[in-house]
Amino acid sequence: MSVPNEENLSSQSQLPSHFFWDLLDSIIVDVASESHRVAKLGLDANLEEDDEELKLSAQARVRVADPSNNSNEANGKYVVDIFGQTHPTVANEIFECMNCGRSIAAGRFAPHLEKCMGKGRKARLKVTRSSSGAQNQNRYSRGGSVSTHTNHSSNNSSVNRLANGNAGFEEHSNGTTHP
Amino acid sequence: MFQRNPLYTNPEPCQHLSDYKHKHGFSGYKAIQKLLVTSPIGKISLKKPNLRIPRCSFCNGCEKKRIFLCLICSSFSCFDHTLLHPKAEIGHTLFIDIERAELFCGLCCDQIYDPDFDQVVMAKHSMVLPQGAIGNESIGQRLIKRRRLVSGVGLYLNSKSKFSFPIKDLRGKSCFPEGLRGLNNLGSTCFMNSVLQALLHAPPFRDYFLSGGHSLEDCKRRTIDRLCLICDINAVFSAMYSGDRNPYSPARFLYSWWQHSANLASYEQQDAHEFFISMLNTIHEKEGITRNGSKGNGGDCQCIAHRVFYGLLRSDVTCMACGFISTTYDPFLDISLNLDINIALTEKGKKVTKSNEDDSKSTLLGCLDLFTRPEKLGSDQKLYCQKCKERQNSLKQMSITKLPPVLTLHVKRFEHSFVKKLSRKIDRYLQFPFSLDMTPYLSSSILRARYGNRIFNFGGNESDTFSKFEIFAVVTHSGTLESGHYVSFVRLRKQWYRCDDAWITEVDEATVRASQCYMIFYAQKTLFNNASEDLSHLPTSPGREVFIPIAGCC
Repeated sequence: MSVPNEENLSSQSQLPSHFFWDLLDSIIVDVASESHRVAKLGLDANLEEDDEELKLSAQARVRVADPSNNSNEANGKYVVDIFGQTHPTVANEIFECMNCGRSIAAGRFAPHLEKCMGKGRKARLKVTRSSSGAQNQNRYSRGGSVSTHTNHSSNNSSVNRLANGNAGFEEHSNGTTHP
Repeated sequence: MFQRNPLYTNPEPCQHLSDYKHKHGFSGYKAIQKLLVTSPIGKISLKKPNLRIPRCSFCNGCEKKRIFLCLICSSFSCFDHTLLHPKAEIGHTLFIDIERAELFCGLCCDQIYDPDFDQVVMAKHSMVLPQGAIGNESIGQRLIKRRRLVSGVGLYLNSKSKFSFPIKDLRGKSCFPEGLRGLNNLGSTCFMNSVLQALLHAPPFRDYFLSGGHSLEDCKRRTIDRLCLICDINAVFSAMYSGDRNPYSPARFLYSWWQHSANLASYEQQDAHEFFISMLNTIHEKEGITRNGSKGNGGDCQCIAHRVFYGLLRSDVTCMACGFISTTYDPFLDISLNLDINIALTEKGKKVTKSNEDDSKSTLLGCLDLFTRPEKLGSDQKLYCQKCKERQNSLKQMSITKLPPVLTLHVKRFEHSFVKKLSRKIDRYLQFPFSLDMTPYLSSSILRARYGNRIFNFGGNESDTFSKFEIFAVVTHSGTLESGHYVSFVRLRKQWYRCDDAWITEVDEATVRASQCYMIFYAQKTLFNNASEDLSHLPTSPGREVFIPIAGCC
């Protein structure tokens, strides 16, 4: 076993640096070797097409960002669609509710159906509030399942969910449990 | 006789390699095989039997980085002496890079590739791993698989329809493509409208319904329960393809869906992806029973949801201690992808997004790479290894074994902060291609890459026609997690249309490419022949009524 002396010390202090460069060189050759193989065997045949797609997307973003390119959209809403039609913010087609028979405007159909079928938070809450309810069951049980357990899978900020809206409605759902 | 794997170009051997093989055959390779050492993660290298550190025989410098072994005289040499060796000794032209088990030609001064050498290398891996771990299926099995893959696509037009002759197509009168029609928002239902638009134009799904795949008269469910979601989907198709251009209200469909999905039945903003899953699951549950007699599993079910959307995912868990690989298969209806953002850990252990947002762009291919990347399961997630009989650190890797005719990719645009206990939406732009080649994410490709891309049959012998996809719809979202708006883009006859509830407008490609995608719909390229684009090949069916006497169509 060698006794540490001056010469050994200086070469020892270089060892970590030495090992690092060794490892780094080895990794670099690894990558070069793998890439070489991929290229020689033609496994990267899609390279050009992939680059073309990237280029097209980059160009598209530039084009879309340029305000002079945006036409016929006034605040996101259009004057006419391709069929030459215009539509109100709240759809006004009238039809019969298939649950109760009433005439409802299309744009208000979902909120109506929710109450009509006894679904949704508000219906569930109304039931749980007066939980004694046989009479409540009669009131809300049309077609819907009245249950006192609350399944809030769509209610909570359901972290994996992107909620949607209707451009015309100011309704903000999520989290609020009171009607 | 099967062709060689078409994904490879078999490399031309250099003259020196040919000469060597002519003279020595495989004896050198076999001798080398004994010295090969594998690692659990698929690497292979050459180790001297006495485990001494190899040094260059000529200059004794073991600090020289790359050491080669001469195939003729078994001497070790550094790179410089490797180039000198063939000149000193005639015929000593071939070497092996011992750290990587790669062939090197000393006269060509380049790394070379030989299928036979790769076979020897893979044979070594096979000796270590249990049988069949590396895709060595018999030809008979491959044939069966191939047939099964093909049968899923495009048979709808032949079997179901009672009408075998095409009726003169009056729909083609309009200059606009068939099926292009707005959907009224019934009250925060744009999540539903956007997905419906995509499904209405998914070629195999559309063809099934338009050619009478689900007959209203024959539907047992409808006669017995008076409730059939698929009949109602059929009704939506009929209405949308009727030629009427004023917006349609899918009220009956909403009513029907709410009756099937009690937990999602409420008037509020919802998630489009959740709706997509719910709808297809309902189709499967109802259809799967009547078709298969029992709830079919992912592989055998013939319901329309499965035939069009379901693929098969493979999960490989490798034990880091012994290399044993445990493989499981799971059917998938779509693939949810995490964004390929770099997340770095600060010193305090908090997760911070790398600030170089400008430099690193997120791409769909990047997300798919991330999805199929080997993932080290942390030491708190040790999995039980059957061979070691104890919990070990493991490596998990996903890949796709079977691709569906319609591939749906879902971008997880949300992140949680465990510290602040809130989640937020990620608005970061994600680049996505219009033409998508899924080959690199197939199980055979992932397997091949794991073993260093050796020239070897890894079981992926479907030609790449089934791996190439073309985009046909994108669902985009704007806004926050709690409140926002969904808009779809669909591509019909090479023109893109924006479907914003009742509003249908033409847009150019750039608008779509620059949009913030949330769900992207691709269909196999083979489904986009000319016939399927203009629908005149489809017979009109008795079930497809033009005017439906229910709410929503006037």
